[in-house]
Amino acid sequence: MNIRFKGILLLISIVAVLLAACGSNNDQGAPDSADEGVSPEETGELVVYSARNERFVQDLLEKFMDDTGIKVSALHGTDPLQIEAEANNVQADIFISNDLGALGYLDAQGYLQGSEPEGMDIIPEQFRSADNAYFAISARSRGFIYNKDLITEEEMPKSIEDLFNAEWADVPNGYAITRGGNGGMIGNVSALRYEWGDEKTADWIAAIQENAAGIYEGHGDIRKAVGAGEHAFGLVNNYYFHQQLLEPTDNNVGFIYPDQEDGEMGAIANAAGIGNVKNGPNEDNAILFIEWLLESENQVKFVGESLEVLINSDLEAEYPEEVQEQIVNFEDLNVQDMPITELGNYFQGTKELIEESGLDLELR
Amino acid sequence: MKDNKQDEQLKKNKNKAAGILPQPALLFLTKIWRRTWRGNPPGMILFMVGLIVAIIMSIPIIYVIFQSISAESDRWLRLLDNRIPELLWNTLSLTIVVTFCAVAIGVALAWFMVRTDIPGRKIWQWLLALPLVIPPYVGAVTYIIVLGRSGWVRDLWEMVGFLGEYRINIYSFWGVAFVLIMFTYPYVYLIASASLRKMNRNYEEVARSQGMSTSKIFWKVNLPFLRPAIGAGAILIALYVLSDFGAIAMLRYVTFTAAIYFQTASFDTEAAAVLSLVLIVITVIILWIEGFTKKKSNYHQTSNTFKAPNRLLLGKWKPAVLAFVIAVFLLSVLIPIAVLIYWSVIGIQMGALDSRFFGFVWNSFRLSGAAALLCMVLAIPVVYLKSRYPSSISIGIDKLSYAGYALPGVIVALGFVFIFNNHLPALYNTFYVVAIAFIVRFLPQTMQSTEASLSLVSPRVDEAARSLGYPPWKVLIKVIIPAILPGVLAGGALVFVSSIKELPATLMLRPPGFDTLAVRVYFEATEGIYHLAAPAALLIIIVSILPLHILLRKY
Repeated sequence: MNIRFKGILLLISIVAVLLAACGSNNDQGAPDSADEGVSPEETGELVVYSARNERFVQDLLEKFMDDTGIKVSALHGTDPLQIEAEANNVQADIFISNDLGALGYLDAQGYLQGSEPEGMDIIPEQFRSADNAYFAISARSRGFIYNKDLITEEEMPKSIEDLFNAEWADVPNGYAITRGGNGGMIGNVSALRYEWGDEKTADWIAAIQENAAGIYEGHGDIRKAVGAGEHAFGLVNNYYFHQQLLEPTDNNVGFIYPDQEDGEMGAIANAAGIGNVKNGPNEDNAILFIEWLLESENQVKFVGESLEVLINSDLEAEYPEEVQEQIVNFEDLNVQDMPITELGNYFQGTKELIEESGLDLELR
Repeated sequence: MKDNKQDEQLKKNKNKAAGILPQPALLFLTKIWRRTWRGNPPGMILFMVGLIVAIIMSIPIIYVIFQSISAESDRWLRLLDNRIPELLWNTLSLTIVVTFCAVAIGVALAWFMVRTDIPGRKIWQWLLALPLVIPPYVGAVTYIIVLGRSGWVRDLWEMVGFLGEYRINIYSFWGVAFVLIMFTYPYVYLIASASLRKMNRNYEEVARSQGMSTSKIFWKVNLPFLRPAIGAGAILIALYVLSDFGAIAMLRYVTFTAAIYFQTASFDTEAAAVLSLVLIVITVIILWIEGFTKKKSNYHQTSNTFKAPNRLLLGKWKPAVLAFVIAVFLLSVLIPIAVLIYWSVIGIQMGALDSRFFGFVWNSFRLSGAAALLCMVLAIPVVYLKSRYPSSISIGIDKLSYAGYALPGVIVALGFVFIFNNHLPALYNTFYVVAIAFIVRFLPQTMQSTEASLSLVSPRVDEAARSLGYPPWKVLIKVIIPAILPGVLAGGALVFVSSIKELPATLMLRPPGFDTLAVRVYFEATEGIYHLAAPAALLIIIVSILPLHILLRKY
């Protein structure tokens, strides 16, 4: 018995030594969990989950590392539900989202925490939650990118409601939409549910599914296809129009902000923003990051290559010349009158509605 | 599988309890214990290591099965209604088409190389095996570059002019099938070559004396002899197609594996578990078919009158066959490598090899190194246990070790996401989880080569060492390990390469800020940033070439 016991002990120690040996150089693996009594300042780390395109976020995070010396570990392409799944084992300090609905949902479920960061006044009140648990930085609005060689501005639909009409299937080469599971499309549908209720929204989804000539994975595919003349127009976010303007060829495109007349619903807007995850492993660094991000030069950096529009139009985001002349400041738009906290209430159920209305979430 | 585990659990409990049990019961249990091992029970350490390995190997899968069974029934119904029929069609049609075409190409090439007088045979023989070192997702990247919307072929197409609108769509069923065929056919090619080389001329001569033509001989004599090789190759390819994530996701096709990945990524783990169970069932059916055909088909080659087969003269067919061989080589090796080199040069000029890149290299190497090291350390006791202490328990441990190998990596990763997030939070989101997942996926690669080496060491050697007074563990360390080390190292090298290439489990389990080369290839390529994807992809291929001779020797 004694010998056996020793054997097991030996085995355990071998495994331990082995793990330690291959782990000794594990300096940038996971952040050490806070229960080891190491204060955040000493570890100097920040864990960022981001649902945004990595290209838009990485430069920002690197600037933060250079400015503060805090080491950022980022996980890109994260789904907001990962924050929920890890609620009992919190990994992230900051969640960067493209969708205020997702942030609103997480906050409503109690996965985000409020704070009083310095400089928050720069964000208009309607674009942050009451306790600053999450806030928006850059805005995007839905609209139609169109190919000027195929269709004129006058011929284009001027309202999102126009798409009920089957006549738009007959424009040259038809029009393009994304698959139902695309984040932008989900936000679009959530906003329509708020505006119209579920029944009319379901009809609208069925109509565009029926009439669209092309259903694409993402908006990047749509802007390229419209630019190349494969479709007359496509339903995208405005910054994809900005991106297409920068293409060396296929850039003869225009953009329609729908529903701008008085009495119409206004363009559907969404925003990219930041959530402060509750009980994150490096809470102090999270506050530091938020305050850093609120500085105007860093907000400009947040927009970066995405070519979105800053919520606060006073801060001058930098755009290439071709884009600058096409920028419509966010405050000059007629935007749908929907408090951002409402978006979170439509986070759940929208995917189901889209799928039940016949628009597949994934491409088939 | 479950029974075995319970069995082991029982044994383990029994041992723990031994100290407190009354004497007669203890004696009885000891007797059963000894009988199970046929009077030769292994040392406790050895047994414990084997047991731990078996548990690690089987738990993720058992957990996934358990989760899927306990999923709500309306969830099941909705998936059965909507998702599953379509996924079944997508997955099975792709598997069948790829398997069929890859077998046809592989057997044809093997036949030309071994049995005909095609010029440059010696060089072609290994050139045609080269696609083995190109992971299919890297192949997919290169064909997106070549055939995609803004690809080179499109420019060429439009230059020619009279062809009309560009029609090739790589993001389609046939695009996916083409890429998978091109980068999996070598498995069949190698197995069929080996088997053709062993084929005895006597049978053919008899057939010929009966007046059969060459083509008739091929169908009536050669092909039946090739059936086991074709079967083995087909199973390998079918299992590969079922488990592939990278190439399929990049070409925007959806099979079970891709669907499971995307459901897990959006943390709809219940649906992911349900889909996993279906995929497990499909895999098990394919494995069962393999076992079934193996049992049924008894083909014997007589070795005592072996005569090497003669070569057929191609004659007027020579240009056509040569063109076919060159075309396959061009499509599966030359074009992909050329594209990668072209974009790597551009990337390097644009400064792709910055400190960030070397960070990814370092991550890839230490992760793969850790996985290889752990696999080598764990394979030795498991194989030793099986070979020196044969019993239902050691065979069960051995069988369990293959479970994670046969099943797609996304399922293992899904199990780990569940287990570590819910039950082992301290390890969740760390480097170790990925390394352990790699053990589950790749341990059998080390076991196979270790077993091959150990089978050459007679048990008499152990006995001699024991009789000279060494305790069993010392025999293992001082005598056996030095003797089998080459085999163990070769197995370790295979695990290293597999780990460098591995994509889905790394994507699902990596901690924040821990990207590997494979992960970067996937992200950069899906974003269309080819100058950053190419250098990483090229490095993966270069590393994979190193142990190619071990792979080739296996067949």
